[in-house]
Amino acid sequence: MGNLLEVLNIHTFIGQFHILEGVNLEVPQGSITVLLGRNGAGKTTTLKSILGLTPPREGKVIFAGEEIQGQRSFDIAALGIGFVPEHRAIFRDLSVLENLKIAERKKGDLARKEAFIFNLFPDLKRLIKLSGMNLSGGQQQMLAVARALVPDNKLLLIDEPSEGLAPVLIEQMMEAIRQLSQDTTVLLVEQNFLMASRLAERYVIIEEGQSVTQGAMADLVGDEETIHRYLGAA
Amino acid sequence: MTGTLKKNRTQLITLAALAFLLVTAAQGLETKDWVITVLRGLSVGMVTFLVASGLSLIFGLMDVLNLAHGEMFMLGAYVGWTVFVRPDTFVDILAPLLLLFVGFILTPLWRALLARVRFSGRAAQLWPWMAAIIAFIILGLTLVSFPITKWDPEVYAESPITFSLALDQGNLALPEPKPFEAAPIIAILGTLAGSSLLASAFAGFGQRKQTGRMSQHIPRGPVITAVILLILALAAFWGNDALTEWLINIGTTGRFFLAMGVATVAGFVIGGVMETTMIRPLYDRPMYQLMITLGISFIIIEVVRAIWGRPEFTMPKAALFSGRGDACPAESIGDLIANQCSTVILFDGRIRTYNEIFIILVGLIVLIAVGLLLRRTRIGMIIRAGVQDSEMVEALGINVRQVFTFVFALGVALASLGGVLAAPSIGLSSVMGGQFLLLALIALAIGGLTSFPGAAAGAILVGLIQQFIIKYGQIGINIPFLDEPFKPSPPLVPASVVLLMVIILLVLPNGLFGRSE
Repeated sequence: MGNLLEVLNIHTFIGQFHILEGVNLEVPQGSITVLLGRNGAGKTTTLKSILGLTPPREGKVIFAGEEIQGQRSFDIAALGIGFVPEHRAIFRDLSVLENLKIAERKKGDLARKEAFIFNLFPDLKRLIKLSGMNLSGGQQQMLAVARALVPDNKLLLIDEPSEGLAPVLIEQMMEAIRQLSQDTTVLLVEQNFLMASRLAERYVIIEEGQSVTQGAMADLVGDEETIHRYLGAA
Repeated sequence: MTGTLKKNRTQLITLAALAFLLVTAAQGLETKDWVITVLRGLSVGMVTFLVASGLSLIFGLMDVLNLAHGEMFMLGAYVGWTVFVRPDTFVDILAPLLLLFVGFILTPLWRALLARVRFSGRAAQLWPWMAAIIAFIILGLTLVSFPITKWDPEVYAESPITFSLALDQGNLALPEPKPFEAAPIIAILGTLAGSSLLASAFAGFGQRKQTGRMSQHIPRGPVITAVILLILALAAFWGNDALTEWLINIGTTGRFFLAMGVATVAGFVIGGVMETTMIRPLYDRPMYQLMITLGISFIIIEVVRAIWGRPEFTMPKAALFSGRGDACPAESIGDLIANQCSTVILFDGRIRTYNEIFIILVGLIVLIAVGLLLRRTRIGMIIRAGVQDSEMVEALGINVRQVFTFVFALGVALASLGGVLAAPSIGLSSVMGGQFLLLALIALAIGGLTSFPGAAAGAILVGLIQQFIIKYGQIGINIPFLDEPFKPSPPLVPASVVLLMVIILLVLPNGLFGRSE
């Protein structure tokens, strides 16, 4: 299978700061790829640059064979990219149902995906009328992933799904991501190396705004030197 | 349920305290006095709400504090007055204005056509400027050929004041319409060509900045709208006299409702144009947006002074609200509707139909309509989500810029409706905008800046406290340990509003309905 997403040497600035100084990565169709790296290495900015929220100043982003850099964020997203941001960004004033409904790109998106979503996250079903502000952190995280599943997305960008979750919820979230990845390609940012290594087939390591190495996860797990050098004690 | 109660404890206590104060304030008054005072307060509150609601939606969604919002309110009043008192002038302006719009509505078409033409480097830089200059010359030549019969603020006998008085006394005489001297075909085609060229020039300016693919797809919606507008423009052009006559014949009531509609639509269009041309390019530079709205407010004030003159003038009330026959003042609501009285007796007090009933009624309808829009529609859902995090809304694949334009236009339309609604009660002057902008800002601070129910509650509180202080200025408050009743002086009226804001913000730093970030 070919690559669904290719990022070629992108440079991104936020204000005066040169955050990404040449990031390259490939996400093969149907895989789970994980972005690894220390705090502040530029993992989140890479996701936002793909989506055009912080547009790259140089380089190319190729999604499903089409160059998408420079297009407006909502046009990029509408091509079939779902985004689960770091702090979940659940709409507090909207109910759980509305938080899902707002993600519809065509009428009836939610109706078609409902069964699948509630099968992944059975808890959401009984929270459906609750307002976004009354959800716990774990419930918000499930909703954020569920929201990205409502339209027909080809690629999901998921930023730190395990952050702030209790261990039992992390297991549940991992299982959900594994299941949804059967239909959808996933690019994941994850600090929790154990979780990342069990989920992902491929990895990309980012260090100080540059992608330094990428390859199959199986190779990285045995390579303690690389793990130690770029990720600290694993 | 108990959870919500607990979370909003401070809000509930504050609201209870305010209700208690209101009841106490009413204790010292006779029933008729407090009924009138509450109704007057609600009336001022509703007008303030119409300004404050748009301000809060715009500020909440786009973080733009529209300092020109008060002037949009004022503009609504002046536009409404023109339709109401001088329908002939309104009809005269209609044809050239609609023709101008046709060119701009077709902007997507020009953009699609331009995408097929490839300009080389220098030509791409230059042609929009050339096109714009040529367009201005064409428009300058053609627009003057449309005669506009207008008032003259410099001459008392032809000033807005005189026409208002004449209409109020029922002997409005409109001046003879000026004849059309130029060739109609040239004037119409010229205006169409000029506006199309100008719109293409603007599209050309925008094209240089845009990267990525340009769509060559020709959308159908704008073309249909343009054809409808063109037909309306031609109808207004050739049916000018008949249309004016019809507007005179439908009487003041029909014309007043039409004036409300025209002012609202005008506000919507002005808001949309303002957002797309002046606010949109500056989303990265909030300070400049603030400065540009301030600049726009000054410009509008001067334009209004140039067109309608500096002196204040009144707007007569429509026949529906000014009956003075034997059956008036009406004793009951049934009588009121039957006789169209200007006043009605409620609890032995005389209530003015327009000021104290109609304004509140319209305000309530808008409150409910906008509330339903926000709660029940998809665009309302997007607005509520965007107020919190517009970036995330965009990341869902929603064109949030279009929603920005809609909300800006809606906000200005509401302010404009507020202006025409307030005009018969407070008159027209070039400072009316500033007064209500200040009240609206205070209402927002009280209500919690970005909350729609907050804007409504804040505006009503602002209206109520003013009217109660005015009332007590007349009859005095009995304060313990003071021998004589305390009579607040008029300067205390605005001061009390600010004082209310200070107290509420000390107790609830985020306002009544605001939420801490």
